[in-house]
Amino acid sequence: MKYQNYLIQRYLSKRWAPWAATLAVTLGVFSLLTVLAVMEGFKIEMRDRIRGTLSHLVVEADPFRGLVGEDLLLEAIQGVEGVAAAAPNVTTLALYKVGVMDHCVLRGVDPIAESQVSDLARFLLSDSEINMMLRDRYMLLPPEREPMALEQVEQLFSLKRRREVMRWRLEEDPGSGFSVESPPQAIIVGIEALRSFRLQMGDVVQISSYSPVTLEPCSGNFLVVGAFQSGVYEQDLRWAFTDIRALQNTLELWDEDAEDMRLSGISVKLDDYASADQIKVDVRREIERRMLLDESDPESIPMRSPSYETWEDKRAHLIQAVEIEKRIISVLMLLIVAFAAGMIFLILMLLVIEKQRDLGVLRALGATRGGVVSLVLRQGMFLCTLGAVLGLLGGWIFLENINAFHDWVYDMTGLRLFPPDVYYLERIPAILRWEDVLLVCLPTLIFGFLGSILPAIRAGRQDPIKALHHE
Amino acid sequence: MNELSAALPVISARKLVKSFPMANGAELKVLRELEMQIHESEMVAIVGMSGVGKSTLLHCLGLLDSPTSGEITYRDDSRTWRSSDLSEEDRCRLRNHFIGFVFQFFHLLPDLDVLENVLLPTFISQETGEWNKKRSQFEARGESLLERVGLKGRERQAPGTLSGGERQRVAIARALMLSPKLLLCDEPTGNLDSRTSESIHQLLRELHQDLSTSILVVTHDPDLASRADRRLQMIDGRFRSESDNQQVTDSS
Repeated sequence: MKYQNYLIQRYLSKRWAPWAATLAVTLGVFSLLTVLAVMEGFKIEMRDRIRGTLSHLVVEADPFRGLVGEDLLLEAIQGVEGVAAAAPNVTTLALYKVGVMDHCVLRGVDPIAESQVSDLARFLLSDSEINMMLRDRYMLLPPEREPMALEQVEQLFSLKRRREVMRWRLEEDPGSGFSVESPPQAIIVGIEALRSFRLQMGDVVQISSYSPVTLEPCSGNFLVVGAFQSGVYEQDLRWAFTDIRALQNTLELWDEDAEDMRLSGISVKLDDYASADQIKVDVRREIERRMLLDESDPESIPMRSPSYETWEDKRAHLIQAVEIEKRIISVLMLLIVAFAAGMIFLILMLLVIEKQRDLGVLRALGATRGGVVSLVLRQGMFLCTLGAVLGLLGGWIFLENINAFHDWVYDMTGLRLFPPDVYYLERIPAILRWEDVLLVCLPTLIFGFLGSILPAIRAGRQDPIKALHHE
Repeated sequence: MNELSAALPVISARKLVKSFPMANGAELKVLRELEMQIHESEMVAIVGMSGVGKSTLLHCLGLLDSPTSGEITYRDDSRTWRSSDLSEEDRCRLRNHFIGFVFQFFHLLPDLDVLENVLLPTFISQETGEWNKKRSQFEARGESLLERVGLKGRERQAPGTLSGGERQRVAIARALMLSPKLLLCDEPTGNLDSRTSESIHQLLRELHQDLSTSILVVTHDPDLASRADRRLQMIDGRFRSESDNQQVTDSS
């Protein structure tokens, strides 16, 4: 019936208080949306970075027993359908000393194979990029840049490169006791290690660790020949890559029983990560089958029991932490929306009391109880929906320009709301998902409905005779 | 008048009882087996002391309240409705089409302008789409009613800017908007000074002659009561007998 919309229009055009409720809903929806989008962006960004340093699937050995039979393992894994590539690695915790003592996670990899299973090639920096990044503390390279070509990756670990760096190093510091002819093995460190001056290009670092085979201390010299930036601060400070064979020798990983060098694990890249859980099972089945074969069988792999995990399994706690944070914050932010709905409730209640007489007149002129209920309900839902739409629109526009806005605040006040060195992100990531929009809108409308229905019912219950009786 | 009186009444009440429960558990009987009929185009005035049940009767007849027992019958040219078997929706429809209300305190909606107030019954009965289709028709009727009650040119004014008498004229125009069979007036001049009252009485009387609407007016005003075709004196929840009424009429 026409009167509801007509009266709502009139009531709202002559009062400002209802618009305050709309504004409250707008602000609630706006902030909820912004927080959800930024947290989602943050989560995705973090996932990407973590994923980059890990491969899709990781077959990891028990650290004290290792894995043996590298060629057979690789062949077995690569034979599983859905596997794109596999690369062996040796990982150890190590101490090193350059001026001060420090520790790192040292990964021995086959540079070419590793580039095919992880984002190593994308993270490796050219010499000019290293110089640029050392000049600007906060600089991050754009994530879209081309990965380093495989030949260049190989080059980085090559004898030629090591000699070059060694020659340059000896020119600066001739008395180091190393020669260009037989330089130490190559090591590639994270950019933050260079930035914090723990290490420098051309440094020869003595790495100390324990051999898991002999359980004796062991050490070796490594020459810093390059740097990488993964985008995860801890990794860029603590991780270092070297050649797998060099590390196997340094750690004395020769396994007497199997007469082979031990591995720490195998990284696997899949054609499609979506089917990772199935392929994980397939890989496991294939490896276990081969381990149970008779030793004389050429396919037999020496018995060891590794774990099989997707990268998400390995980093589940980190991703979950962000997910839980997101959930907690959205519940807290929903309180703003609930507050706004409370405002709608109060304003409608006041309106129903103020307009008691109008409602009585409407009933006397033939409006049904339901019609009066709908008059109040519609008004509340209109205020709420309008607030939600404005909040969505505002949130969307804000999120599209969040970095421009951030820059503007920085320009105006010199304040960095989102310091890049803390979060290690140069831009504020924001991803607006349909699920999140729904997660914001649905409770808002439900709250709005709850806030409107009580005054509406009150309006419907009102006795028109009482309403009309007095001036 | 005779042939009209012979026709069936527009509204008739039979054995109408309305009682309210009191705090001490007893019942307060406001209407006691009241009987009444109003014929087409008849103007009836109800007079009586305060608290004898005039307003309660009007509320029952106007379907704002339900009698405790007894029945009210509404009739137009083609249909008859009995109060006992009306659904809530029927009651609303009758309030909208069949009955027009004029209140003591005018009860115009302050947020709407004068013409919109007059059009209010059409807003209630029509869906937006249909209303928009018939808009010019409705507005023309509203304007002519306003002209009839002497408020031509005031259509876009807010009710707050009108005097009491003018507001009551608007309220009368609103009550007549959908050409109801019955106009119920609850002390229409109770809140107006005597000169203004006089003009409202004049208007009601004129409208009554122009239109075929029956009018039931509850009033304290002897002048208004004297202009009615019939006067009913209410005492203690019922009317005095017709002959008594006749005497009242004669003596005035």
